[in-house]
Amino acid sequence: MSEPVLSLQDARLSLDGNAGRVDILHGITLDVIKGETLGLVGPSGSGKSSLLMLMGGLETATSGTVTALGQDLTQMNEDALARFRRAHMGVVFQSFHLIPTMTALENVAVPLELSGHKDAFERAEAELQTVGLSHRVDHYPSQMSGGEQQRVALARASAPRPDILLADEPTGNLDGPNGAAIIDMLFGLRDRHGATLVLVTHAPDLAARCDRTVHLRDGRVDDTPAQKAAE
Amino acid sequence: MSLAIAARFARRELRGGLRGFRIFLACLALGVAAIAAVGSVRASIQAGLEREGAALLGGDAEMEFTYRFATVDERAWMEDQSLAISEVTDFRSMAVVDGENGPERGLTQIKSVDAAYPLVGEVVLDPPIPLPDALAGSDSLPGAVMERVLKDRLGLEAGDTFRLGTQEFILSAALVTEPDSAAGGFALGPRTIVRTDDLANSSLLGAGTLFSTKYRLDLPDAAPLEALENEAETLFETSGLRWTDARNGAPGVQQFVDRLGAFLVLVGLSGLAVGGVGVSAAVRAYLSGKTGVIATLKTLGADRRTIFQTYFLQIGVLTILGILLGLILGAGLPLLMSPVIEARLPIPAVFAIHPAPLIEAAIYGTLAALIFTLWPLARTDDIRAATLFRDALGSGKLLPSWPYLVTIALLLAALIWIAIWFSDAMTLTLATAGGIVGVLLVLTLAAMGIRALSRRATKLKSTRGRTALRLALGSIGGPREEATSVVLSLGLGLSVLAAVGQIDGNLRNAIAGDLPEVAPSYFFVDIQNDQLPEFRARLDANDAVSRVDSAPMLRGIITRINDRPARDVAGSHWVLDGDRGVTYTDAQPDNTTLTEGEWWPEDYTGPPLISFAAEEAEEMGLSLGDSMTINILGRDITGTLASFREVDFSTAGIGFILSMNPSALAGAPHTHIATVYAEEDAEAGILRELANTFPNITAVRVRDAIDRVSDVLAGLAAATSYGASATLLTGFLVLIGAAAAGERARTYEAAILKTIGAPRGRILSSFALRAALLGAGAGIVAIAAGITAGWAVTTFVMETSFIVIWPNALAIVIGGVLATLLAGLAFAWRPLSARPAQILRARE
Repeated sequence: MSEPVLSLQDARLSLDGNAGRVDILHGITLDVIKGETLGLVGPSGSGKSSLLMLMGGLETATSGTVTALGQDLTQMNEDALARFRRAHMGVVFQSFHLIPTMTALENVAVPLELSGHKDAFERAEAELQTVGLSHRVDHYPSQMSGGEQQRVALARASAPRPDILLADEPTGNLDGPNGAAIIDMLFGLRDRHGATLVLVTHAPDLAARCDRTVHLRDGRVDDTPAQKAAE
Repeated sequence: MSLAIAARFARRELRGGLRGFRIFLACLALGVAAIAAVGSVRASIQAGLEREGAALLGGDAEMEFTYRFATVDERAWMEDQSLAISEVTDFRSMAVVDGENGPERGLTQIKSVDAAYPLVGEVVLDPPIPLPDALAGSDSLPGAVMERVLKDRLGLEAGDTFRLGTQEFILSAALVTEPDSAAGGFALGPRTIVRTDDLANSSLLGAGTLFSTKYRLDLPDAAPLEALENEAETLFETSGLRWTDARNGAPGVQQFVDRLGAFLVLVGLSGLAVGGVGVSAAVRAYLSGKTGVIATLKTLGADRRTIFQTYFLQIGVLTILGILLGLILGAGLPLLMSPVIEARLPIPAVFAIHPAPLIEAAIYGTLAALIFTLWPLARTDDIRAATLFRDALGSGKLLPSWPYLVTIALLLAALIWIAIWFSDAMTLTLATAGGIVGVLLVLTLAAMGIRALSRRATKLKSTRGRTALRLALGSIGGPREEATSVVLSLGLGLSVLAAVGQIDGNLRNAIAGDLPEVAPSYFFVDIQNDQLPEFRARLDANDAVSRVDSAPMLRGIITRINDRPARDVAGSHWVLDGDRGVTYTDAQPDNTTLTEGEWWPEDYTGPPLISFAAEEAEEMGLSLGDSMTINILGRDITGTLASFREVDFSTAGIGFILSMNPSALAGAPHTHIATVYAEEDAEAGILRELANTFPNITAVRVRDAIDRVSDVLAGLAAATSYGASATLLTGFLVLIGAAAAGERARTYEAAILKTIGAPRGRILSSFALRAALLGAGAGIVAIAAGITAGWAVTTFVMETSFIVIWPNALAIVIGGVLATLLAGLAFAWRPLSARPAQILRARE
C-alpha cells in the first residue's frame, strides 16, 4: 500500500463559543492515499466540514496529529500553513467565496500569482477555458450565475495543480444539472492531474462516485454503514 | 515580491470605489485642513510682517530708551551709522476738552514726533493733508491729529482745540493709519500724534514721567543689521537700550501670532485625534466587510505579510487622497477668505500658498493616519481561513501583537516630538498630547464600562417589560463595537469643547467677576513729588473714597544678576522683558508679607538692598544675597537681595517686583503712582477734580482697562472656539460614520423585531434611547475631562482660582445627547422602512 497523502492520528477538535467549549471531533484516525477520492458523509453537525478544515490546515487540531504529504500540519503556524496550501492544496467551498472585487480571470490567477508564476494570467485563462468559461474571463462574480461562480472556484482550486483537492459540499448551492456538471468537472480535473480528492457531501450519488466513503456521526467515524455493507 | 503582489491585489480591491471611505476621507481631510489653514494664516501674517518690517518699525532699525532721551554719545553713534534719524516719544496722558458741562477727558496714547517722522511709510489722515501741515497748527496753536474713536468721544471736529497737560492744541485731522502702529504694543488708549517740541510747555515730559523714546534709523541698503545690533549692545550695554530691526519689525505681534498659531495647531491636533477615531472606525468597518476576502486569500496561500501589505497599501492610497484634499482646503480657504481676514487684521498679511505649513499639516496627517489605522490593520493577522466555514469566533485578543504596538508607540512619540519642534512650546505640547492620550484611555475604559453595565442591566428584573430600553441596552452591550467608536469620537470632541468652555469661563470670571470687587477705581500715574501731599489731602477729604495707596515709582531694566548678563541667569523670564516698575520705602508696608529674609532698618543708608517678589524670584532661580544690577535712567544701581515678599498682581492694586531702600535711589528723578478705591457713582467727580487740579496727571480707569483686556481675550476665545468647533464638526462626522456603519445591523435587528411583532414606534424609541444613553455617557466623561483640563490650565498656566462653570458643563452633556440622537435617528429611516422578508431572505 502506498504512503498516505493525508493522515490523521487521534485528531480532536474543540472550539470555544459563546455557549462555552464545544467538542466537535473526537479522536479521528484516518489515512487518505495518493490518488484516492474520499467522500465524507454524515448528518448535519456530524463534523464533516470540520474534518475537512483539519485536513486543509484551516483549523488546528486541539490534540492528535494531522499529516499532509509527510508534514505535520499541527506544528505549522498560520503563514507556514498558507504557504503549504499555496504549494499543495486546492479548496472549493459550498458558497464559492470568490473575491467580489476581482474578475473571474483575476480570481483564478491569485494562487498562481502568490506562488510567483510569471504566466499566472495565461494559465488562469487556460484553466477557465477548461471549465468552459473562456467567454466570462472579465466578468465579476456578481455578474455570474451560481454554477458559473462555482466553475470559477473550481478553476481557481485546480490551476496551481495541487496534490490534494478539498471540496466542501461543492454542489450544495446549485441545482441538479449545474451540480452534476460541477461534479463531472471536479472528477475530470482529478483524473487529468492525478490529485487526491476529499469531498464533503450530502448527495448519495456523489458519494457513490468516490473510491471510498467515511461516515461521520457526532464527531466520530461511524463504522456501522461499512460493516453493514460488508455483511 | 510580496509587495508587488500586494500592490496588484490592492489595486484590484480599490476598483470597488470609495464607498465606505467617505467618512475616512472627511475626517482626515478636515483635520489636515484645520491645521493647514491655521498654519497658512500664520505664515501669511509672518510674510506680511517680514515684507513690511521696516514700515511697521518706522525705520530699518530702532533704539528704544525708557524714561529718557538718548545721550550725546548715543545720538552721535546713531548719526554715524544712519542716513537719517527720527525721534519719537510715546506715553499715556489725558486729552481734555472744555465742554458746556465742564471739561471732558479721554485717556490717550501720545506719540510725539520730529520733522523726520515717518522715515518709512505714510501717515494717512482725514481730511487727506500731509502730516507736517497737520502738526504745524494755526492761530499760533500747535497742531495735533487723533484717532477717530477718541475724537468722537470728546466731540471734537477739525479746527477745535483741546489740551494735553497744560498745552493747548488745535485738532487738524483724524488719524486713519500710522505705518508703525503694530510695533507699539498693547495700548490702553487711542492714539494722538503731536510734535515733541510742542510739548515743551505741557509739563508732561518732566523728570520722572513715564515715557519711552524711540530712535528710528534709516540705514544704508547693505547695512549689517546683526553686526550693528551687537555693536550697539556692546557699546551701550548698561544703558537700558532695546534694539529692534526690520528683520522682525513687530516682535511683540510676531511672538503673539506665533504663540496663538502654535496653540491653535494644538487644538487642530486634538481635532485630528477625533478624526483619527473616525479613521480607525472606518478602517475597522471596511476590514470587517473584507473578512471573507481575507480568509479566502489565506486559504489560497497568501501569508499574513501579503495580506497586511494589501490593505496597508489601500489605506495608504486613501490616506494620501485625504491629506491632499485637506491640504487643498487648508491652503485654499485662507486664500478665498483673505479679503475678510485682512479686513479684520490690524497688521499686514501676504496671502499666498505657503509650503511650510502645508508640509507641517501633511506630516501630522500622515502620522495620525498611521497611528490610527495600524491598530485595526493589525487585525488582519487574526482573521483565520476557517472563518469561511463558520462565523468568526474572533481571536479574543484585545491588543495587536507587540511589533504593531511598538510601531504605534514610536509613531506617537514622533508625532509629539515633531509637534514640540514646530510649536516650540514643549510643556504645552506635552500637556496637550498627554491630555488627548489620557482622555482617549479614559474614554476607552468608559466605553468598556458602559457596555459591561448595559449587558448587566439587560439581565436586571427592573428592565423586564421595558422592551425599548432592553433592546437599547442589549444593542450597546452587544458584540458589535459601534458603542466604543461613538463614545471615543463624541467624548473626545466634547472634551476639547468642555475644556475650552471651562477655561474661557474662568478667564472671564477672573477678569470681570472677581476683580471689580477688590480692584481700585483709578490708577493715577505721573504724580510729581510736590503734588502728592495735596493729591492725598483732597482724596482723604472725600467721603466716597475708601482707600488710597500711593508709592514712588521709577522704571528700570534688570541688566545683570551676580555680575552676569541677566538673561544668562534667568533665561527668558518675563520680568527681564523690558523695563519694570521700581519703588522704594523705608519701613516694611503693613500689607507686605515677607517669605524670606528681613526688611532693612528705617534709617538704613548702607549699600543698596532689594526686596524682590518671592514667586518670580523662585522662577528666576534667585536666592538671598544675590546681587542684581538695575539700569534706571541710564544709571546702573547694583544692590543685594535682602528679602523676598508676596506680591499679588491679581487684585489690580499696586504691586512692584522690585522695592529698594530709599537711599539707594536718592536723587533719581521720579513720580508717584496711586490707586484710588471709591464708590462707582463718585468716580467721575473724583477724576474731574483731580484732573483740573493736576493737569499733568494721567488717570487710567480700571474698569476701562479691564474692558480693553477683556476685548483682547474675547478675540482669543473666539479664535479658540473656531478651532474647537472644527474638532466638534469632525466628531459629528465620526458619529455619522458610526451610525452609517451600524445601519445594516440595525436594519436586520428591525426586521427581526417586526417579524416578532414590534411596532415601528417601539423600535424607534429603542434606537433613540440607545443614542441618548451613549451621548450621555460620552458627555459625562467629557465633563470630567474638560473640568480636569480647565482646572490644570487655570491653576498652572493662568494661576487664578478655578470654579466649575456648570452651565457650560451641562450644555456639553445635552449637546452630546442631541448630537448622537440626531446622527442615530438620521440613519433610522431605512431600518424602519425596509420590509422584513427582503432583509431576512438576503441573510440566508
